[in-house]
Amino acid sequence: MKILLSGLALLAVTISGAAAKDLTLLNVSYDPTRELYQDVNTAFARYWLGKTGDKVTVKQSHGGSGKQARAVIDGLDADVVTLALAYDVDALCEKGKLIPPDWQKRLPDNSAPYTSTIVFVVRKGNPKAIRDWDDLTNPGVSIVTPNPKTSGGARWNYLAAWGYALKKWGSDEAKARDYVARLFKNVAIFDTGARGATTTFVQRGIGDVMIAWENEALLATKESDQGGFEIIAPSLSILAEPPVTWVDKVVNRRGTRAVAQAYLEFLYSPEGQEIAAKHYYRPRLESVRAKYTGTFPKVDLFTIDEVFGGWQKAQKTHFSDGGVFDQIQKANR
Amino acid sequence: MKNKQTRFNWAVLIGALVGVQATAAGVRAEGTNTAGLPAATIGATDTNTLELIKQLQRRIEELEQKVKTLEGGKAPAEEPGEAKSKQQLRELDQKVKVLERERELDQEAQEAKAKEAPRISLGGDGFSFASASNNFAVQLKGVLQVDSRTFFNEPGLGGNDSMLLRRVRPILQGTVYRDFDFLFVPDFAPSSGPTIYDAYVNYRYSPALQFQAGKFKVPFGLEQLAQDRDILFNERSLVTDLVPNRDVGFELHGDLFEGRVSYAAGIFNGTTDGGNSGNVDFADDRDFAGRLFFQPLRKSESTVLRGFGFGLAGTYETMSTTNTAGLPSNTGGSLPGYFTDGQQQFFAYNPADKAVVVANDDHWRLSPQAYYYYGPFGLLGEYVISDQKVSRTGVAPYDSAHLRNTAWEVSASWVLTGEDAAFAGGVIPRRPFNPREGAWGALQLVGRYAELSLDRAAFPEFADPATSAGSAEAWSIGLNWYLNRNLMVKTSFSHTHFNGGGGAGTSAPAAVTRNDENVLFTRIQLAF
Repeated sequence: MKILLSGLALLAVTISGAAAKDLTLLNVSYDPTRELYQDVNTAFARYWLGKTGDKVTVKQSHGGSGKQARAVIDGLDADVVTLALAYDVDALCEKGKLIPPDWQKRLPDNSAPYTSTIVFVVRKGNPKAIRDWDDLTNPGVSIVTPNPKTSGGARWNYLAAWGYALKKWGSDEAKARDYVARLFKNVAIFDTGARGATTTFVQRGIGDVMIAWENEALLATKESDQGGFEIIAPSLSILAEPPVTWVDKVVNRRGTRAVAQAYLEFLYSPEGQEIAAKHYYRPRLESVRAKYTGTFPKVDLFTIDEVFGGWQKAQKTHFSDGGVFDQIQKANR
Repeated sequence: MKNKQTRFNWAVLIGALVGVQATAAGVRAEGTNTAGLPAATIGATDTNTLELIKQLQRRIEELEQKVKTLEGGKAPAEEPGEAKSKQQLRELDQKVKVLERERELDQEAQEAKAKEAPRISLGGDGFSFASASNNFAVQLKGVLQVDSRTFFNEPGLGGNDSMLLRRVRPILQGTVYRDFDFLFVPDFAPSSGPTIYDAYVNYRYSPALQFQAGKFKVPFGLEQLAQDRDILFNERSLVTDLVPNRDVGFELHGDLFEGRVSYAAGIFNGTTDGGNSGNVDFADDRDFAGRLFFQPLRKSESTVLRGFGFGLAGTYETMSTTNTAGLPSNTGGSLPGYFTDGQQQFFAYNPADKAVVVANDDHWRLSPQAYYYYGPFGLLGEYVISDQKVSRTGVAPYDSAHLRNTAWEVSASWVLTGEDAAFAGGVIPRRPFNPREGAWGALQLVGRYAELSLDRAAFPEFADPATSAGSAEAWSIGLNWYLNRNLMVKTSFSHTHFNGGGGAGTSAPAAVTRNDENVLFTRIQLAF
């Protein structure tokens, strides 16, 4: 009996001693967050190792936000999603039953640890004299923006333009529609995602102006070898709140709930916020925001809830099949 | 629509470029011809053309000069026409860039589409096709084993040498909806006709929690759980005589702690020692089986220790019906019993007074088991107890007894050509057989010793000591030649010594136990 007990004890020690975990997470994200999450992942791995002794490797997947959400619904094992808009995350609940309906209340600030907005990038010297949204509809102005049907960022662009027009023309929907139609008539090329649009504008030299995420615009201007770009902050833009959440069905199955949740909570920590700010995402934490006031231009911002009644409504009205955007495009052809 | 537009744009652009080229070529041709003709033959039109060319040349030189000036940072005042030309040039440049980018995006879209297309593959693992997401997959595999058995020194026992198809099994396996696996394996080799060996569906909630339903191997015997294509010898050892094979049932199983612990627990119809169940069983009793297997050092940095595993397995059943169907199968004889490596029956429930022996009440089994693999070396051992209550019917006395039969084995293997040995997956030759390039595959030396002991209480009331052996001891050696990962040739020799039996009679088990069994096996196996 003693021998048996000793053997079992030895076995338990062997197994528990060898049980320092080697964890992996998959973060399915949208196009322009590659560099942000490379840094976040390194910092979080260091933090998690120090806290628990477990080694965690976070893998990344990037693409158009809508496409990424569909991939997760179709079976891509995302432990966490960090997408461009809440509508795409909602789809994980509605179509995939992968997360609960109240997912947005599980983390602070509507589960959006950082924000961004929509600005313009023009070529050095601003040869087309683009100062605000109105200038985008001038004849001969060539615009680069991704396709709102495939890109979350492009939907923010579209809604920012629409919101500006509503304000300018006293909430006159017809005039707003006319304005947005004229703007999209000037689009030279539709990429499928925000990163592709940056490639089109910066590397391929196409277009006079790119409508872009602020972080993508700042990144493009800072890292461009040519140094041939300027950022134009419009008088009014939209507050973009890219949300994050863990995917319950996946983390439950893989046993990664705790580490996935900790990973997203890390984004709210001073270190996580600092990394976000360094990558030109507007931090939520006041202390970090104060440090980076010079980085982000002052822009009057409206929220999607204020102007469009939320993502669900905006999506249905503007971006569903046969919606306003489709109608505009059909008329523009 | 977009593609059409792109093609149209390209056509327009190419057309325009071709037009410009043709015009320029025409101008050059006219110039050449003119230069080659006497001045008198040059007409008024040609003079005009020459003048036009000269003007164009002057214009180009002027433009070149201006470009140089612009490049030098000295922008001359532009004339309205020049500004317009530059604007047109910029617009044309943009159009070309847009067309190029559209083509690039089209290519990206095509590549993305290709990634989403179903994948088909054909290779050493068989033929498979899968959806791009791998959520749906089907694999077609198969095992074909062509054997020969040649017996030596067997006076009085003939007609048992054979060339045979041991296994002819097409294997269909796959996955649906990512988490549901299935396997279907019929065997066309049995002379009784095609038989379903495996047919199950497995739900993978996680590696640690899986649920399997259908017909599959009972989680018990270590050697039995090795795949048929991976066993070291043509036939499994005497130990497997006491081990259930495939049965119909439900099983929870999984791997914990990154595979350091594997568990399986199931409820089955119940099958005999060494037996496969039928596809249906209307008996009320059920067989419970469970197995725990540990590989505590499989993630160790030391390769010496990684391949060590040990475990314990057990089954329990209470027979609700009393009949001979509950006793071991009767391969090689007409009555239930146990059989040799050569598949000949050396023990039968066949008392001399012709009473019929039946199984009833409790049947339990227990098996401690272990293996160790390190590089080309492999060692496997297991011990099995099978405790079966049996009763006599038909002829008095109508006694019952718990018969506790035991068996054990140790087998060792060494890959002479240095490849790694493993419990699952066999040996994969570093240099697949190709004599033209001096590649000969892999060679493995194998050896095994096994014993099976019948409970002494079996004799004489439940078995005839004059015909059945009370125990058998077998040793085997062999050489396995892996030509490649799909083809192998095996040859082995097995010697079995019997204690008891050997009395009068021309049929098994008396004729089998009369002399030691010496059998030479060969096998050609195709498995993919």
